[in-house]
Amino acid sequence: MSRSPTAVAQRRIQSELRDWLQHPPDGCKLVQYEDLRTWVIQLLGPESPCQPQLYTGQTFHLRILFSERYPLEPPEVTFLPPSPVHPHIYTNGHICLDILYDGHNGGWSPALTINKVALSLRSMLASNTDNRRPPGDADYCARMRGRSPKETRWEFEDDSV
Amino acid sequence: MSDYGDSDYDMGGSDAYSSGGDDFSYSGDEAEASSPVAKGAKKSFVVLDKEELRERLGAGVSQVVELLCISDAEATRALRFYKWDLTKLQEEWFADPEAVQVKVGLVDEQPSTRRKEEVCKICFESFSVQDMACARCKHYYCKDCWRGYIHTSIESGPFCLDLRCPDPECKAAVPRRVITAVVDAAHQERYDDFAINSFVDDQRQIVWCPAPDCQNAVMSMHDQLGVAQDIFCRCGNAFCFNCKEEAHRPVDCDTVRKWMIKNSAESENLNWILANTKPCPKCTRPIEKNQGCMHMTCSQCRHEFCWLCEGSWAEHGERTGGFYNCNRYKRAVDKGEVDEQEQRRQHARQSLERYMHYWQRWAENDTSRKRALRQMEAFKSETQELISEYTATPVSQLRFITDAWMQVVHCRRILKWTYATAFYAFADPVNATKEAKARLAQHQEFFEFNQGQAEHYLEKLHGQVEKQLNTFVRPPPSPPEGEAAAAGSEAAGPSGRDQQGWAKFREQLIGLTDVTRIHFEKLVNEFEKGLDEALKEYDVPMAQASTSAAAATAAAAAAEEAAAAKAKAAGKAPADSRRITRASKRRQGPVDQEQAAIEHEAGYWQCSHCTYANEAMDSQECELCSQPRGATR
Repeated sequence: MSRSPTAVAQRRIQSELRDWLQHPPDGCKLVQYEDLRTWVIQLLGPESPCQPQLYTGQTFHLRILFSERYPLEPPEVTFLPPSPVHPHIYTNGHICLDILYDGHNGGWSPALTINKVALSLRSMLASNTDNRRPPGDADYCARMRGRSPKETRWEFEDDSV
Repeated sequence: MSDYGDSDYDMGGSDAYSSGGDDFSYSGDEAEASSPVAKGAKKSFVVLDKEELRERLGAGVSQVVELLCISDAEATRALRFYKWDLTKLQEEWFADPEAVQVKVGLVDEQPSTRRKEEVCKICFESFSVQDMACARCKHYYCKDCWRGYIHTSIESGPFCLDLRCPDPECKAAVPRRVITAVVDAAHQERYDDFAINSFVDDQRQIVWCPAPDCQNAVMSMHDQLGVAQDIFCRCGNAFCFNCKEEAHRPVDCDTVRKWMIKNSAESENLNWILANTKPCPKCTRPIEKNQGCMHMTCSQCRHEFCWLCEGSWAEHGERTGGFYNCNRYKRAVDKGEVDEQEQRRQHARQSLERYMHYWQRWAENDTSRKRALRQMEAFKSETQELISEYTATPVSQLRFITDAWMQVVHCRRILKWTYATAFYAFADPVNATKEAKARLAQHQEFFEFNQGQAEHYLEKLHGQVEKQLNTFVRPPPSPPEGEAAAAGSEAAGPSGRDQQGWAKFREQLIGLTDVTRIHFEKLVNEFEKGLDEALKEYDVPMAQASTSAAAATAAAAAAEEAAAAKAKAAGKAPADSRRITRASKRRQGPVDQEQAAIEHEAGYWQCSHCTYANEAMDSQECELCSQPRGATR
């Protein structure tokens, strides 16, 4: 009686898509979803409540890749270049945010949705005042060339930025 | 146990092992055979197999469930949070229940849904509420999604024990009934294993047995954790609760650690250096001579010397035998002077030698222990059957042999560690007062005497069980034909004489096992108590003991008399009436008049070898150890 994970993923993605198209989150626009497994979301740079305004007026593109085990497994979420300059976002688009990863220190939950993920990322940008890349950015990008951010062992120690 | 007086000698009643807690079953022969510890000694640990651990864990959880009226999952989580310390959890809970609930992450029960259908928040499909499950938070998910969620969590490690409702904002613990309702058997087992691991790993008083294939855990009831405690697991492994090294009572964990580090760093090098080098007579650096003549030049200090006699090369030449010989050395050998030179050389590397002395004894006992262990296994698997057949003794009655082997193994280990501890305890003290040095010397003498005693009996026991036993591993000589005919069958028992020998062997072995055990217990206890204390008990004034042999003998005689009197009162053999100086043990010759009078009055004579009280007054051989009467140790 157990459904195959692919069918579950398929149906769940369809429901999310339906939901998204009816109530898209603020500042986000789905620009590509023909292949149900790959979405591209256009993210409008949020207005920051504090100075300096780092992202106002810019647009970024998020790529979402759903695996067959979605939603038990988190989707792979990266910024398509050019990625926003942020102490938790690498030049290659990899994002250090706990809800994007599972495992023992990851914060992914199957009850999260792309809608919520997109909102979290926007608020992550909105609250940032530090116009820098993460330390070791160049090294990391060279090492990770072409690989998934899921292969990285992330340490999510800093929630303030 | 503080006293090894006369009355302990006959301990070993049916309740001898009872103090280890009700659940430590000693009836299983494996358990008993693997615990050659003091009979009647306090057992302060419990061996727990997986099933027993599961029971204890379950009992702990249900206790909390009843006490605090929370679900099993919450109880597990709360216990985990407090490292399974029920008392602490209880205290804090009753002091401030809300604070604990927040800390542990427990949520209030929410009202159930009134609807018949709910949307699963994971697959976004509608299900009848009956087909869904939820925690106290009443966030409903369908069973398939629960299964996927819980399986994924179990696969990612022990954190599945803190599993929460999938809702990212919700902290509710996933109840056990949800888990058991949806997961498959393999995942359930992994989950239970994680719970047991946590139960063991998070509690200081429970540890895993470190033997490679053993799955038992051991719970210590010792009031003081963090000190050495010998544990005998049912698997046969003996280890220290505190440091997980091999059991090493009476030595403390620090000494063991230091010793092991020293061994790993030095033993191999030292062995080689001692075997292959001589120190330069001038600068004492070790020199290897791997070729060439006897004319050596130290590469470090450029000192030139003769390899054989170690004298300066300036004194050598044609007249002393040339480059390949040394007359001085030859003469010295002939006159027996070489010993002195040897001594000088030893002095130069005294510390190395000292270490080697203790290391070799440590290592020999270790090897001996391992061999004994193998021999015991061989006995159990092969020899036992044969002996049973040849001596017409049921296997169940051959336990005394396994016991003897176990005693040997156990004692070899104790002995081994006494050498490690002696290396540190009796090292030459730097800047010590004269008195302190004297006291240390006295301690050393006392310790070595006890060690020597214990070792002596161990050697005897080892020899007996190793060699004597073999004489019974052959068919008994067939009786004369007439008798055989009379018996009418080949399977007739062994001849009377052989049977007698067997009975005697049995009696001796049991006696020796006992005596050895007593000596080792004494050694261990005295060391643990502190040698000062132990010496005091002999009531021998310190100065006298070390300086005046006569006084010591007198004191010892008094002690012996007291012991004899006590023994008489108890009607048992005195376990120990030993003297503490070497002077007294050197006493030789036939039993003197006074001694004879005392013995006559007492109605037995005490074997000077094993202290057994022989009641056969005219016998010249000890009934227990077969040593001639009046023989010296």
